[in-house]
Amino acid sequence: MSNENSRNFKSWPVTVILSLFSVPILVMYLYLIVDTFTNTEPGSLIPSEFTLEHWRFLWHTDPGAVSIWTATANTFIFASVMTLVILSVSLTAGYALSRLNMPFRRFFLGGVLTLHAFPTVTLVIALFIVLQMVGLYNTLTGVILIKSALMLPFGIWVMKGFYDTVPWEIEMAGVQDGASRFMVWHKLVLPQIKPGLIALGVFSFLEGWSEYVLPQIFTPEADVQVLSVYLASLIADDQKFDFNLFKSIGLFYVIPVVLLYLIFQNKLMNIYGGGSKG
Amino acid sequence: MKATKTLGHSVKAAVLTTAVSMAIAATPSFAKDMTISVWAGGSNQSDSYRADAIEMAADILEREAAIRGEELNIKVEKKLFNDGWENFKQAVTLAAESKTAPNIIVTSHADIAPWSQSGLIRPISDYIDQDAWPVNQIYGNLLEIASYNGQLWGLPQDAESRPFFFWKPHLKAIGYSDEQIEGLPEKVKSGEYTLYNVLDDAKKMQDKGLVTAGKGFSPRVSNGPDYWQFYQSFGGQMKDKESGKLIFDKQAMGDMYQFFVEAAKMGVTSKTHLGGDWNQWYSEVANGKAGTWHGGTWHYNRYTGKEGLDDFFGNIQFTLIPAGNKKGRANTITHPLVYLVSNTGTDDDAAIAAELIAIASEPRLNSLHAIKSAHLGIGKEQANVGLYSGDQWASEATERLLVHANAMPNHTEFGQYWQIMFKGLEASWTGQKTVAEAVANVEAELKTTLGDNILIK
Amino acid sequence: MRQRIGLLGLGFMTPALIMVVVFFLIPVVMTGFFAFTNMGTATGVSGGEYLLTPKIIKHFEAGDQFDKTTINALSSTSYSVSDAALAKAEKAGLKKKYLQEIGKRLNGKTYAKRRDFIRDLKKLKSRPRNQRALIKSTESFSQSIINKRFETLEGFKIALQNTGVDLQPVQTDRVIEASYTGWVWTTENFTTMFNKPDTWFVAANTVIYVILVLAFNIGFGLFLALTTFYLPSGQSAFFRAVWLLPRISPPVLYVLLWKWLTWDTGFVSTILGWFGMAPYNFMLGSVESAWMVVVLINGFVGASLGMILFSSAIQAIPSSILYASEVDGANRWQQVRYIILPQLRWPILFTTSYTTLSLLTSFEYILLSTEGGPGGSTNVWSLEAYYTALNNYSGNLQYGYGAAMALVLVTIGVTVSLLYLRLFKFDDLVSRPRIES
Repeated sequence: MSNENSRNFKSWPVTVILSLFSVPILVMYLYLIVDTFTNTEPGSLIPSEFTLEHWRFLWHTDPGAVSIWTATANTFIFASVMTLVILSVSLTAGYALSRLNMPFRRFFLGGVLTLHAFPTVTLVIALFIVLQMVGLYNTLTGVILIKSALMLPFGIWVMKGFYDTVPWEIEMAGVQDGASRFMVWHKLVLPQIKPGLIALGVFSFLEGWSEYVLPQIFTPEADVQVLSVYLASLIADDQKFDFNLFKSIGLFYVIPVVLLYLIFQNKLMNIYGGGSKG
Repeated sequence: MKATKTLGHSVKAAVLTTAVSMAIAATPSFAKDMTISVWAGGSNQSDSYRADAIEMAADILEREAAIRGEELNIKVEKKLFNDGWENFKQAVTLAAESKTAPNIIVTSHADIAPWSQSGLIRPISDYIDQDAWPVNQIYGNLLEIASYNGQLWGLPQDAESRPFFFWKPHLKAIGYSDEQIEGLPEKVKSGEYTLYNVLDDAKKMQDKGLVTAGKGFSPRVSNGPDYWQFYQSFGGQMKDKESGKLIFDKQAMGDMYQFFVEAAKMGVTSKTHLGGDWNQWYSEVANGKAGTWHGGTWHYNRYTGKEGLDDFFGNIQFTLIPAGNKKGRANTITHPLVYLVSNTGTDDDAAIAAELIAIASEPRLNSLHAIKSAHLGIGKEQANVGLYSGDQWASEATERLLVHANAMPNHTEFGQYWQIMFKGLEASWTGQKTVAEAVANVEAELKTTLGDNILIK
Repeated sequence: MRQRIGLLGLGFMTPALIMVVVFFLIPVVMTGFFAFTNMGTATGVSGGEYLLTPKIIKHFEAGDQFDKTTINALSSTSYSVSDAALAKAEKAGLKKKYLQEIGKRLNGKTYAKRRDFIRDLKKLKSRPRNQRALIKSTESFSQSIINKRFETLEGFKIALQNTGVDLQPVQTDRVIEASYTGWVWTTENFTTMFNKPDTWFVAANTVIYVILVLAFNIGFGLFLALTTFYLPSGQSAFFRAVWLLPRISPPVLYVLLWKWLTWDTGFVSTILGWFGMAPYNFMLGSVESAWMVVVLINGFVGASLGMILFSSAIQAIPSSILYASEVDGANRWQQVRYIILPQLRWPILFTTSYTTLSLLTSFEYILLSTEGGPGGSTNVWSLEAYYTALNNYSGNLQYGYGAAMALVLVTIGVTVSLLYLRLFKFDDLVSRPRIES
């Protein structure tokens, strides 16, 4: 109810309270930007000089370290391939669960729902052994498969939710015109759920882009390092602690996320709501 | 006569040639390209020679091969891990399970026991001549530390020891004379100056306002071998020589826990000191913001480097870890890293890896690492290497500390014991449990997890 | 027709099934199995070998199953040069000349240690000049099985017989059992878990953690949803965007910002410093402040979930009702209390159950911030399982015990999910497809 002129109350006290609570976040993210271009004397909060030195990581790589560009490329590959896998797999599975009459349907649905809220990280040991058996330990492929599989129940659930909103009449009409169910899905239903596809896609990409624990465990080798692991190991290195450098890398890391978020804000809301459309 | 002699010579020569050619035949004589990977844990840029020395050794080995008429190309892949031992050991163990471990691992000697049982590493004594240079000049006690179950598993990569430090100006300010400060190492060694004297002095420093509350005594902020030193200070022993079992000395462990509880109670350290931030800790101890603390010989580098302490010897006094009571003794633990040969690759790979390790352990090469990273040498002959003998810190620390150093035992269950011991320390230090409770918990946990691998006294 | 649709459906499910089975269900089942093993760094994962070591012999000495002579015989690592050994060496492919020289100069000798033997071999002219080959050439002269790895039980048994040590069947079994390096089945993980005082401490921490963060998430999410609802649309969009930032930021960066905010060199300490307060590390300084920071870090991320869900539920309330209440003179609190909150029952219930499960199993933010410290005081179950199984300072990875800890969470997770399915009327969700029926 965005009615400011409401008779019984004013909105400014709410604004003030909310602003107060939001101060920590605003401060953190404001200084995330400010500190990357400036230096500040200890004990002060006002920057004393402008500098670009914190961004040197973009063109200079320490010997023995991974280049930021390698890590970025890895992160991009990781996130986008994972997104593709999740999208293509949940696209079909979601439809099957939502619309198709098949054996074990109830069981599958129950399974997806259970796994949806499942303690995934508790499986890392067993996951490692599976990866090792298929020879994918320490490869991007391996960690992509794992992360995709762990996100699948969620993805399927979300897609099912979107399929559920497609009116039955569309399909009925197609079937009555003599098209096969596959054709109906392909030609008539898919165009209807494009928003869902975009939303799930962006969401998966962001999840992949941010993921830390799985790559840290399953791809420790330098040449397959992703940005989260890159940044975390830099922070853990007690020899060169430098908040401004970390923030610069962090800003570099978070910019794509923020851009994606700004573009797809409204679509994402559906999913951040727990994918509870259904 | 002369003819027979020449004949004899030529026979000898012939035998020799066949022997040599046979030896060569034993190692394939065609051009050989190999890749040897080295992973070094807990290593930052100043420890780069842990891997670089292997690369230099590869160059030497290639040249040696060339002289013998073989073509050997060794590509060394180096990787330094500096985001914590936890991640390093995770990476190595998992890589080993998937048969992709590096050929050479630089790690703590404490890993030898479990890794040798699981077959993750191969004994280096199967590949190198222990009676030949440079192994024959490596300190016997360090080789002992690299041995387990009667086999030599690796070569020590560096030595260190973990001294107790005092900030000299603060000592003076609470009434120590220069002579007394100079004599402190002796008093510590004899057991006259104990850990509780440390607390008293730390308290004095705080009362005088030289350091802020809680900074009079600033122990290591995370788990480390260091805490076993305090156990020894109170008379604890880690392993029973006779039975080869670990020892849990309730009295000593309790006294050790009690010491840290007392320290927190007196306010010279804080209850939540453990888990603190390393960077902050370094900058405090190197700038006189802490009165007394303990650390490692390699800290020298950090203090005088990044933290900008110009006059180390003018500001800092170092001693053994003082005794805690009459039962204990002043001591220090050395926790050498070792070069290990993993089970990755063929036997030939392992043989080359072992040779590289041996070459990298030569005094001149090892001194590069020792001095660059402020660690101590591994061999007697390093005293004859100018770089090493010319370094005040290395020579003084060797003399004052290394000769008295002992190491943690190699035992498959020691890692577990260590974790449990540290948990008990955390619990009592932070006040979650009383000392008696903590010791009882440790005892219960040791009994359930280690069974008859441990003697409880 | 129906059949074909069924096939199409299964076909559509297949890729998902394969992935979920391989990377989800199989690991769950494996976790169940591992929980009943003593698998760890020392035992390895892929099965064991047979290796008799001096350490094991020492254990035998302490027991009473073996007498002194047997132990001495078993533990002997001696090398002896005999005709039989020479013949064996020849079979093993050693050079004749070398063996002849050994036979001539060293026959009849016995060495207690390999090193002594090698020292003598090094004096021989026809010896292999390669160190590795020289060491290997000693193998045929030893009958000991100490420190020798056998891949199969058969091989080990034969070698054990070849040592010539006379063992009773019970003793042989004991030797075999003790020499096995791999993992074995056991229920000890669970007895240990229940007997370890630490377990209960961590469990209690977990409960505290879940309750505190949950309370913050729901309470603050509700607060955000209500306040942004009453704000002009521009402002509410702004605040919603701000509160989504923690959610969309990568955890590594987000926690870094918290470090900057709460460490003693950080923002809060700097501000407090202006008022003469000493710098203080809120993240690790004391148990209370560490908990506060951990709850806030997680809470700020989680609040957005409640915010979105509750917002959309509030927006679904017909505005006419709200207007009507205003006309009737209801103040804001009454409006919230009597109109909005009753509508939010289900979203709140859903968020509570969803968040509880994810909090139980998540440890990423704690791992990145306090790492469970100071002194283990903010350690929770899933983090402890991770440390135990995969990530600890001593490098002693206990997969079996870690899996047992994970299994507890798995059990709780599955049970709770099934309960939720009932609670949220699963049958409503599985409305039947309409075309074929």
